[in-house]
Amino acid sequence: MRIYILKRLLQMVPTILMITFVVFLMMQSIPGDPVVALLGDAYTDEDAVKIRQAYGLDKPVLVQYLIWLGKLVQGDWGASILTGRPVLQDVLVRLPVTMELIVLSMGVALVIAIPAAIIGALRQNTWPDYTATSVAMIGVSIPEFFVGVLLLLAFSFGLNGILPSSGWVYLPGTCPNMVCGVSLWGNVQHVLMPAFALGIGRAAILTRLLRASMLEVIRTEYVTTARAKGLSERPVVFKHALKNALIPTVTVMGLQVGFLIGGAIVIETLFAMPGLGTFGIDAIIARDYQQVQGFALITALSFVIINLLVDLAYTFLDPRIRYA
Amino acid sequence: MANGGDSLRMKQRTISGGALNEAALPARVAVPGLRARSESPVEQAIRRLRKSTTAVIGAVIVIGLILVALFADVLAPQSPIVSDQAQTFARPSAEHPLGTDQLGRDMLSRVIHGSRVSLAVGVSSVVLALFVGVPLGLIAGYVGGRADSVVMRVMDLILAFPVYLLAIIIMIMFTPTAGLLGTIKVVGAIAIVRVPIYARLVRGSVLSIKEKEFIEACRALGVRDPMIILRHVLPNCLAPIIVTTTLGIATAIIVEATLSFLGLGTQPPTPSWGWDLKANVAFIQANAWLSLFPGLAIFVTVLGFNLFGDGLRDALDPRLK
Amino acid sequence: MNRRPFLFALTALVVSLVLVSGSALAQTPKRGGTLRVSYGNEIAHLDFHTAPGYEMMWVAMNVGCGLVNITPDGKFVGDAADSWQVSSDHLTYTFKLRPNVLFHDGTPVDAAAVKFSIDRLRDPATKSGMRTFYDPVHSVEVLDPRTVQVRLKQPYGFFLHMLAAYRTGLILYSPTATQKFSVDDRKQGKPGAVVGCGPFRLIEWVKGGHLVMERFDKYFVPGLPYLDRVVIRTIKDPVTEMAAFKAGEIDFIASFSPEHVDTLKAQTPNSVIMTGKETTPMKAAMKVTVPKDGKPMSKERAPHPIFGDLRVRKAIGCYGIDRNEIVKIAFKGKATAWVGMNPPGTLDTVDVNGMCPYDPAKAKAMLAEVGYGPSKPLTFEIMADTEKSVFNVIATVVKEQMARLGVTANIRLVDKVSWMNTSLQDGPWDMYVEDLLSLLTLDSNAYLSNTTSSWSHERHNDKRVDEFYARYAREIDPVKRKAIAKEIQEFFVENMYWNNISGSPFYMVAQPWMKGYTYNAEFEVHYHRVWLDK
Repeated sequence: MRIYILKRLLQMVPTILMITFVVFLMMQSIPGDPVVALLGDAYTDEDAVKIRQAYGLDKPVLVQYLIWLGKLVQGDWGASILTGRPVLQDVLVRLPVTMELIVLSMGVALVIAIPAAIIGALRQNTWPDYTATSVAMIGVSIPEFFVGVLLLLAFSFGLNGILPSSGWVYLPGTCPNMVCGVSLWGNVQHVLMPAFALGIGRAAILTRLLRASMLEVIRTEYVTTARAKGLSERPVVFKHALKNALIPTVTVMGLQVGFLIGGAIVIETLFAMPGLGTFGIDAIIARDYQQVQGFALITALSFVIINLLVDLAYTFLDPRIRYA
Repeated sequence: MANGGDSLRMKQRTISGGALNEAALPARVAVPGLRARSESPVEQAIRRLRKSTTAVIGAVIVIGLILVALFADVLAPQSPIVSDQAQTFARPSAEHPLGTDQLGRDMLSRVIHGSRVSLAVGVSSVVLALFVGVPLGLIAGYVGGRADSVVMRVMDLILAFPVYLLAIIIMIMFTPTAGLLGTIKVVGAIAIVRVPIYARLVRGSVLSIKEKEFIEACRALGVRDPMIILRHVLPNCLAPIIVTTTLGIATAIIVEATLSFLGLGTQPPTPSWGWDLKANVAFIQANAWLSLFPGLAIFVTVLGFNLFGDGLRDALDPRLK
Repeated sequence: MNRRPFLFALTALVVSLVLVSGSALAQTPKRGGTLRVSYGNEIAHLDFHTAPGYEMMWVAMNVGCGLVNITPDGKFVGDAADSWQVSSDHLTYTFKLRPNVLFHDGTPVDAAAVKFSIDRLRDPATKSGMRTFYDPVHSVEVLDPRTVQVRLKQPYGFFLHMLAAYRTGLILYSPTATQKFSVDDRKQGKPGAVVGCGPFRLIEWVKGGHLVMERFDKYFVPGLPYLDRVVIRTIKDPVTEMAAFKAGEIDFIASFSPEHVDTLKAQTPNSVIMTGKETTPMKAAMKVTVPKDGKPMSKERAPHPIFGDLRVRKAIGCYGIDRNEIVKIAFKGKATAWVGMNPPGTLDTVDVNGMCPYDPAKAKAMLAEVGYGPSKPLTFEIMADTEKSVFNVIATVVKEQMARLGVTANIRLVDKVSWMNTSLQDGPWDMYVEDLLSLLTLDSNAYLSNTTSSWSHERHNDKRVDEFYARYAREIDPVKRKAIAKEIQEFFVENMYWNNISGSPFYMVAQPWMKGYTYNAEFEVHYHRVWLDK
């Protein structure tokens, strides 16, 4: 098992390298660079040239990438040209917010999807099934930001603003700064709408998938055998059908992370949350190359690590699967 | 395809040679003079489609959308880009059923014309992905070896990219332009991330077919490879491709809307649902309908494609239900 | 004796005493509390001498202190300086510093610190945006620990204005802290690195999160500031900002989107909305020259293919744009249609609207003179950046108006960084809509339109502009100055080097319980007298 994990970690490396290199390449091809924004009012041509030299922006792209890589293996993620802040520090400060958002969104998705899928699978082709499937269909078809806008309309602008429209309150004990708003209830208030907006689309996809997988499993013979042995409905469903249906679902959940990260960009922008999503898009727009690299790196890392965790989860779900 | 025909023929044999007597047979089978005939796969599919409510609703929406997009000029009461400076933020009325926006443009016309962009972007990005992805998958699967691993590596790389990161950077890479060039840019950005899906799909199908004996037989008969691909391999993956394409259009429309919401998609003055939604969210308290209607339009369109795609999937391969 | 009048008088006396003391009590500032501020844009970074942007400036004015400040009615009041004297030839300014001014690290604000700060700003290596304004300075001398003397090369009528409120004004840096910490330390707001002499100390800055300042106990004005803390958040979306304001999560919005002011007022009728005559110009700039050899910033210039011709500039910019219509649609009438380069609220402003009345017939005729018409239609591109949605709205209205002249204008939307790159680096553009920076005086616009400045996007290359600015800066007599200002503005309109559309309105919004704030447009944002009545 340990060897398997090590092998997978090693396989991660070329993927991450490729992703970060491609992002690097693309950012350099964007017209305009951060030097103009950096100098602002003091912009003169000569100063611009000098600054570019100082930051190594005039070297060939490959050389710049290798320099970045060299620093990275020493644990230095570089520092933003525009603000001077170390990128790793910024990423670590923002990471918990986005992680909480993504985890809770998945939680919301599962909380909605599992019961809906069970109802759908057990009462197939009846009204409850149709309702569940229809709701799932609707959820898949609404863009996340529109759900966010509707939620804002309902709970922040309407209903006397019972939910806050922006900002963030940290969970007790997780404050990464010197000064934070910290409170459990505050945190819940701030994360509720974003998690829901992001999770609802995923819920729909998961419901459909889980339901289909469960149906397939239910039809298989060994469930029929279990039934024939006299086991009552519920243990059959939960123990066998659900557990096995979760396998393809867990795979999909792993793949969904990519969409979740993308969705996080939009939702965080809409709700003004200090997470990685707003970090990334602000960095891209400001042409802050170092920050974009940091964003690409953490995104790629998350994606790869989560997929690894998903694969490991298989062994828990299906004892037949074992890795050498 | 071949399966459907087979099972029908099998049924025939059972009825004529089986132990059941006529009295026990269901009435419709017992009607004299009715000759059972085998249905072609396409006819089967269409029959199943017609029976599925979701598919029908989806088809109606999709066809309706296409008609609206085609006849937008005729259907829209006014021009979507001309601003009536005197009538900004007008409330819904007979003259402007959906009101007007900040620049006095008729919202109904904008929503109607917005369908063109959404449909165009949705369809062309998927078609582009098809044209790139399918050949890639065919090559990878059929040729195998080096070509296979290289192509799949690249596909994996694209898949590993968070969809929006890629799209956002691509959008900013090329200086935004309005009009046709801008739309082409959006199409390209969305298409790139969809290519691996088709490549993988086709490759998987190719791999499963490759082993089948009748391919060996074809080869032995001297049939050339391209012919094999065209006549045997491709039809096998047609069904999943069609389903993925339809669902892909739905996703592409959402991605385009999201990019526009971030300010990076279709640029004005081209009417775009995503852009209108974003631009009018700012006025949502006084004029909520200005952003709600484009949002609803996106929703209904995507729903239509999803329903139809689902129905197609069920019709083309009922085992997947 | 009749007691009634006596009783009446007594009651009146008591009542009035109560009223007077009551109102006096209501006026007594309460100490303590946290002021929660919202910014619409991110703070660039915290090295005050080099960072661009209002958001940074408004922090700098509270964490840092300078020599003098300016009041809304244009009077100078001392900040770290107690008093000052100007020599009769206007070449020497002698400042006497207050005895008890300290930097947040405990070091004294003395003449040496002042000299250090000014020399630093003048040093090209610092790359400060304020450097050009210190060109007239010949030298800075320390006469004694509390007296510093600035010698100018030539008279500069706006020296005090510049020290007070051009951008940040002069922000004093502590020599000790500056040498101890690097530029990067200051930029990112490392604890201890950002040291000023203002009423608030910087505690923490988390970009994308918040900025926190706390009362500096040893501030040189005893009893101030009243607030314990100021917390600044960045909320980019005005709708979200409004919701947070309505919910009482924010006390003060530093710069609010003019398009949404009406909605805010309707939602929160008790809010205090502060505004004044516009001090920022909104322009539809037209590029005058392009590099002859195609190399950006080349000294060899050729006229721009469309707007190089003055007649075209006048036809389009002067007579072809209906400024009143733009103001009505883009600003809902809340701005002033304005042709002059100096906005309505800036010193020495002049109404030259009469020089450019909306006259589409005349515009068409002028275009025909140049050769444009149905057979040779004029087409150009308007660049607008996405920093403010109003730019796009104005561009769209201009496009409409151009259509009435038979001219096709295509809009190109870019993000702010792209816009800066294109305009600053002599990139290809025809017309852009932007509102640049607020102007305390016409002199502060010199850097935007001098032939030598990178920020003169039009690249008009007309040396007469430089001469005008120089004359204006040297003139000490306010009456004569005003006359020169009038000349400058008329000159710009005659040559259409600066195509102004209107003023760009500026709004600040406060909760009714925020007291003690003095509105001074974008120039001075100070929290030291602010207190919370709750």
